[in-house]
Amino acid sequence: MSEPTRIYVVDNGGQWTHRIWRVLREIGCDSKIIANTTPVEEIEANALVLSGGAPRITWESPKLGKCTDYLQQFAGPILGICVGLQLMALHCGGKVGPSDIPEYGLAKIRIIEEDDLFKGLPKEFHVWESHNDEVKSANGFTVLAMSDNCSVQAAKHLEKQYYGVQFHPEVNNTEHGEEILRNFAAVVKHH
Amino acid sequence: MFNAAKFIDETVTQLSERIKGVAIMGVSGGVDSTTAAILVNRAIGPNLRCVLVDTGYMRKNEVENNERMLKKLGLNITVVDATERFYDKLKGIVDPEQKRKIIGELFIRVFEEVARKENAKFFVQGTIAPDWIESGGGLRDRIKSHHNVGGLPGKIEFEIVEPLRDLYKDEVRIVGKELGLPEELYGRQPFPGPGLAVRILGEADPVSVKIVREACAIAEEEIERASANGEMSRPWQYFAVLLPCKTVGVHGDVRFYGNIIAVRSVESLDGMSAAYSKIPQAVLERISVRITNTLKDSVSRVVYDVTNKPPGTIEYE
Repeated sequence: MSEPTRIYVVDNGGQWTHRIWRVLREIGCDSKIIANTTPVEEIEANALVLSGGAPRITWESPKLGKCTDYLQQFAGPILGICVGLQLMALHCGGKVGPSDIPEYGLAKIRIIEEDDLFKGLPKEFHVWESHNDEVKSANGFTVLAMSDNCSVQAAKHLEKQYYGVQFHPEVNNTEHGEEILRNFAAVVKHH
Repeated sequence: MFNAAKFIDETVTQLSERIKGVAIMGVSGGVDSTTAAILVNRAIGPNLRCVLVDTGYMRKNEVENNERMLKKLGLNITVVDATERFYDKLKGIVDPEQKRKIIGELFIRVFEEVARKENAKFFVQGTIAPDWIESGGGLRDRIKSHHNVGGLPGKIEFEIVEPLRDLYKDEVRIVGKELGLPEELYGRQPFPGPGLAVRILGEADPVSVKIVREACAIAEEEIERASANGEMSRPWQYFAVLLPCKTVGVHGDVRFYGNIIAVRSVESLDGMSAAYSKIPQAVLERISVRITNTLKDSVSRVVYDVTNKPPGTIEYE
């Protein structure tokens, strides 16, 4: 039997960090939660998930530890969730800032491009959100999904294997959340 | 998938290696502490002494019923009536975080007194993942201080053991079922340690306790009856909250100025996110009529909470 895919969760202090870890284990991945201050050379994983968290991207980015190092030096695919996506966009020259209308709890997203993350999923479904900031422009990314109040709900980098979602696929109330994480794990396998 | 049998084997082995001598344990009769108690009981048998604290903020008939049930499960249990101590310490306290901290500390002081008597060096509690996640620490913001984590005092006389620390409610239920607990127990809705004290917004005085206890009992009864007769499915958690503001009503052509009761009911898997329950109007109406009639001297109005988590939390404080 082949080894399970090893996807580590980088903890940015989110309420749902532990849930990402739980869902990854449930879909058969080997997972563990690591501090966002872990040096990149100590990370022996096939892929990373950057968790969400309370830090505000525009003025609290030091709280995101070495996440920028991971984007520069980590070899495998990376999925950014919430502030994780925002950091990715910022790192690649995009713009982020406070949402005009923040979303908390229920929202409906529309899939613009299925790509890897939304493979086999409906064009519209309900997700769970919890964000004060959002991506305003994502240089070098294809936008994969949007909602009424947020134009970048999911994105994929044009060259690198950076994936990002503004909503929370790890939360049980999000429809198809587990499938989205499965789709990410499938990308890792083929990487 | 979560493997309950494996979890039970590993945990019982770890517990029997770790706990030397007598351990005392705080139990409430809820899913988490009862499941943890059964695990510890398997590991150290009669060296486990369970303590059920009557805080004065328990639901209707809860202390008696839970004591009976825990005894039936073969646990060694002592009930400590600390009602007056809790009421006394919470007198005049309105800030939710201060309330939770006072409750957390008083719980520990009561347990320490028992531990001294029993010469116990270990203290077991049924903490689960959301308790420490929401209590904050490091990067994580404090959403609320759960009484068994963020509400703990700095100095504690014993070593704390938390066998369910990494599990969520749904996983605890699977463990409880695997351990042979009755369905009414492992399927029980959550009831947090601070109890009715955090369902009374503002000062949790004995008069308010009586009101919210009755309102909670009515909301639970009506929802459970409607679920049993197929009108709806039983929600994940459902209760009543006493709001600290008054509204005008009319009783028999006479003006009445009374409090508001909010009814809260949610659907969830693990309590970390939740959607409000779409309860049938007829059920809501029965709850409203019964509460406003039964509690006619204090409640003038009943409202139903339609907030998800986030942005709301499940409990109000």
